[in-house]
Amino acid sequence: MTDVTVSILPSAPLWALEIWSNPDAVAARFKAATGFALPKMGSSDGSEALRLIRYEPTVWLVEGDASALPSILANDGTQTAIGGGIVRMLLSGKGWRRLLMEGGVFDAESPAFTTGSSAATIIDHVNIRLHVHSDDACLAYVPLSYARGILHFWEEAAKALD
Amino acid sequence: MMLIHCPHCGPRAQSEFVYERTVDSVAPTDATTDQAMQTLFTRNNPRGVDDEIWRHSFGCRAWMVITRHRVTNEISHVRAVGPETLP
Amino acid sequence: MTGPSRPSSATDINFTFDGKRYSARRGDTLAAALLANGIGLVGRSFKYHRPRGIMTAGVEEPSALVTVGEGGRTEPNTRATDVFVYDGLVANSQNRWPSLSLDFGAIFGLAAPLFSAGFYYKTFFGSAKRWMFYEHFIRKAAGLGNAPTESDPDRFSQRAAFCDVLVVGAGPSGLAAAVDAAEAGQRVILVEQDEILGASLIRDPQELYSVWVQNCAERIRAAGGRILTRTTASGYWEHDLVTLTQRLAEPGQVPHNGVAQRLWHVRAGQVLLATGSIERPVAFPNNDRPGVMLSQAVRTYVRRYGVCPGQRVVIATNNDDAYLTAHALQEAGAQIVAILEARPAPAGQGQNLPVFNNAHPLSTKGARHCLKNVSGSVDGVTKSWDADLLAVSGGFTPVVHLHCQAGGTLEWNDAAQAFVPAQSRQNVKTIGGAAAPAPVFNATPVAPAKKSFVDFQNDVTLADVDLAWAEGYRSVEHLKRYTTLGMATDQGKTSNMGALARLAEKQGVAIPEAGLTTFRPPYTPVTMGLFAGAGAKDAGAHKRRLALYDVHAAKNPIWQPLGYWFRPRAYPMAGETLADAAMREARSVRTSAGLTDVSTLAKFEVSGPDAVALLETICATTVGKLAVGRGRYTFMLREDGFVFDDGTVWRIDENRYLLTSSTGGADRMATHLSYVRNYLHPSWHVSVVNVQEHYAGIAIAGPKAKSAVAKLIGEEPPRHMSTISAKIAGVSVLVLAASYSGERAFEIYVDARNAEPVWTHCETAVIAEGGCLYGLEAMEFLRIEKGHLVVGGEIDGRTTPQDLALDKMLNKAGGFIGASGLGRSALSEPGRRQLVGLEAIEGSIPEGSMLVTADGKSPEGHVTASAFRIMEGGSIALAHLADGFDRHGEELIATSPTRGQRARVRVIAPHFYDSAGERYRD
Repeated sequence: MTDVTVSILPSAPLWALEIWSNPDAVAARFKAATGFALPKMGSSDGSEALRLIRYEPTVWLVEGDASALPSILANDGTQTAIGGGIVRMLLSGKGWRRLLMEGGVFDAESPAFTTGSSAATIIDHVNIRLHVHSDDACLAYVPLSYARGILHFWEEAAKALD
Repeated sequence: MMLIHCPHCGPRAQSEFVYERTVDSVAPTDATTDQAMQTLFTRNNPRGVDDEIWRHSFGCRAWMVITRHRVTNEISHVRAVGPETLP
Repeated sequence: MTGPSRPSSATDINFTFDGKRYSARRGDTLAAALLANGIGLVGRSFKYHRPRGIMTAGVEEPSALVTVGEGGRTEPNTRATDVFVYDGLVANSQNRWPSLSLDFGAIFGLAAPLFSAGFYYKTFFGSAKRWMFYEHFIRKAAGLGNAPTESDPDRFSQRAAFCDVLVVGAGPSGLAAAVDAAEAGQRVILVEQDEILGASLIRDPQELYSVWVQNCAERIRAAGGRILTRTTASGYWEHDLVTLTQRLAEPGQVPHNGVAQRLWHVRAGQVLLATGSIERPVAFPNNDRPGVMLSQAVRTYVRRYGVCPGQRVVIATNNDDAYLTAHALQEAGAQIVAILEARPAPAGQGQNLPVFNNAHPLSTKGARHCLKNVSGSVDGVTKSWDADLLAVSGGFTPVVHLHCQAGGTLEWNDAAQAFVPAQSRQNVKTIGGAAAPAPVFNATPVAPAKKSFVDFQNDVTLADVDLAWAEGYRSVEHLKRYTTLGMATDQGKTSNMGALARLAEKQGVAIPEAGLTTFRPPYTPVTMGLFAGAGAKDAGAHKRRLALYDVHAAKNPIWQPLGYWFRPRAYPMAGETLADAAMREARSVRTSAGLTDVSTLAKFEVSGPDAVALLETICATTVGKLAVGRGRYTFMLREDGFVFDDGTVWRIDENRYLLTSSTGGADRMATHLSYVRNYLHPSWHVSVVNVQEHYAGIAIAGPKAKSAVAKLIGEEPPRHMSTISAKIAGVSVLVLAASYSGERAFEIYVDARNAEPVWTHCETAVIAEGGCLYGLEAMEFLRIEKGHLVVGGEIDGRTTPQDLALDKMLNKAGGFIGASGLGRSALSEPGRRQLVGLEAIEGSIPEGSMLVTADGKSPEGHVTASAFRIMEGGSIALAHLADGFDRHGEELIATSPTRGQRARVRVIAPHFYDSAGERYRD
């Protein structure tokens, strides 16, 4: 039996941060204000207080206290609340990589997909965003309307991962 | 199912992508009626290489132009399209 | 038939065949177990009901097809050679009545000329009655096993995998290649369709082979490689994607963790095909009798299973390999009575064996279950031998299916009389026996054509090939379709070469010039459930649930699927029908208030200095003049000028807008917005965020809606087409005053996580005003009566703004998508269908009916939606009618001939209720 359990995390404030002009200047202001760089494609940075995960070229998923961001963005972008539509699920246990291969098309078993990595993909026909928390845990951001369906899918799949 | 090298995400399965149209079928919004209809409905449709607009809809949501051989599915080039972006 | 090397054992397991109990040894295929129990007759053939036995020892088996399993686990048309016996396995023969050995259908064998090549096509010509006559008994007589009627209790899984090297086939070449790649640090997957590794090594044991095979497996696993047995590489697709079908349980067996089979999608850096080859039968009359087997299969039964399928054996061959079978049989104690060697001179392996050169088989005799006699031609002289087994070898066909599916080409290897892989288009390479098959003498059949079977599963003989040729079918593709050669579930794995050689002979060309048919996936049959995967147990796709799903579910509504969404259609009270409930709900909205969930509407936040530019490109109406806090109705065009969606746009802040559009078009609109923003205008300073699911939406409509909302928010509600931010139950909400029902109405948008308390407060407020909940059905009644449009109904992809009387709202400045397309002259010509209302003079207007001026006339329009006047009663409808704007007052017939429904109608304006819009205002 492969070890993985799936649980729904409490809801968190989430924003889409989009930069539409002067990305380099925004990046410099961001680094100066927060102490870490805007993460590159396919990765995340920050802490529990403020974490940015990048899934798109010009958009970052922001989790945590985003109150400092408007002044960093100034007129070069904006942030929009999106947390209502997203359910965060935690896949914990060594088996999370194998579980993600069920109904998937993305190489979650790749050694390059490591702590701090992120990827948006499609699993069992549902668009899902992944964020590797550690070797033993991966976060999934699932659209609210599909959350129960995907939870059921993962619970069933986890029974037969061998 | 093809493997498409997304300029932002690397190689990904075709099922994450959505085909939009060929590059030669994009008419500017201010085109005259005749120009627009010509562009929309009279296309090359080659039995060979064409430039196609695709979107990584279920991935990074970015647009790209894919140069694809329509018989062999060989993809010779992928070009990112969209706003200026950080690496 | 049980050979000396097969003593019975304490670990024997039991199975049944046609209701009778037998024992088998663990590791036996069903075919091996049947042979071990002396069962030679396994099935009846497809067309002629000829008795058939076991011909092969692998997935290529064309004859021994059985039904395995019971109830929902029943798997028909399973090859007995491709099922491993488990305790309790239940197998049944197919295509026989009343029993396998006494089959009335065998009379069709006597009527063979009737079923000759092209039979099906010929029945289509001549009178239709002829086909009707034949169809009845073709359907009864021809065929294979029956599909199960119960649903499969097991689950199916689909899984992705990635590797640097995928090796298909765990014979000596495949194993060695997999070890090398794995130990070179590459991610390796090795697949083998058998349940054990070794392939040809199991049949021809080299010294210490099992130790070597085991050692290879350990090295592959130690280096991180993955080995999948009972797994078939069934399809090779674009860019080195290979699909694997893995059996986690045998057919009919209860899987240990609920999953019966898994479909793998493997994306490989390189694919190595070590698929070996399949032995060919030899074409001669009565070559299909039980007891005629392929030579390598005989050897496999002897060496692997300890089953000797005959004691007096004739061997017919054109190559060296069959002599290994002779030796294996001798070791097992069988007598070789003759070797019919096609080659004219002794070839050197036949010492101490009765070899006849320049010899080939002519016919067989036997009883139903077994073979009794083989006759053959030796130097032109007919001889015969009493024998209970005929082992034949017509050469070897490399398994090139995957190579060809990948777009590779083949070349003719004359020494082997076989096609071998040549050029590859993808990263695929064929290694081992499939790349270099053993030499043979000649593949062209020499025996008489009648009853010389080439395709055993579809009952195609050389005579059928000859007939097709005589009737003018020249190309191999035509031959295939006319005779059904190679079109059975075995896809012609054993048959195609014999027929191809015959065709080439007829054409007077070499075999490679006769051409080849296309190799298509799957390599072996695939269970349908695998394609559905996890969805096989549910609806096939996930249902999309509303944020307030539990709130609705507690009220037991009638649910309505809307795309993938499920929304309440009505909330019936005890004893109410859907129609009763919907009408009660609609009346409540007209007289007091109603509450409904509108969360599924597409919603986008558009922000930034270029938000107006983007919106005025997407929308065909003006947006820029909206003041903060105001909204308006809008619609969107395709580039060809037709309306494709509609909605509302709201200015919620200086540089921030909320755009709503139809539920069904939500994903399409998201793509459209992204295309315009990112592809057409990448330099614009604008952000578009899809907030469809972020906000739950609650609509309150009716004459009492304003008073309910006022109490909820504790302030003056916004006037029609205005918006404010407010709080309900302490939760921040956005209140939009917009109406779809025709009444004063509000849409309340709230972060979906906080929707439940807001809904509860709204429900209490609406009920306090004497109102109730309403569902989609009531909403449809309301909007039809008001003459509001619906995407997919009136907006059907063929209507312009003019056709819908929306043209006065068009942005005069142009610049929006579709402006160029609207200029087409054909879009303003007379005769276009235009939106009208209909009221019934007599009868009820059928949904979807045609509008005609009199019975028998051509339709001039159609009904897009029909309903009843909510307060007064009476059938009404919205419709598209040719030149409809100028036909108000005209009487027509709305007819639905397929349903036998009709009504007399009068054309009127498409607003049946409050056409001045006074009820929107305070």
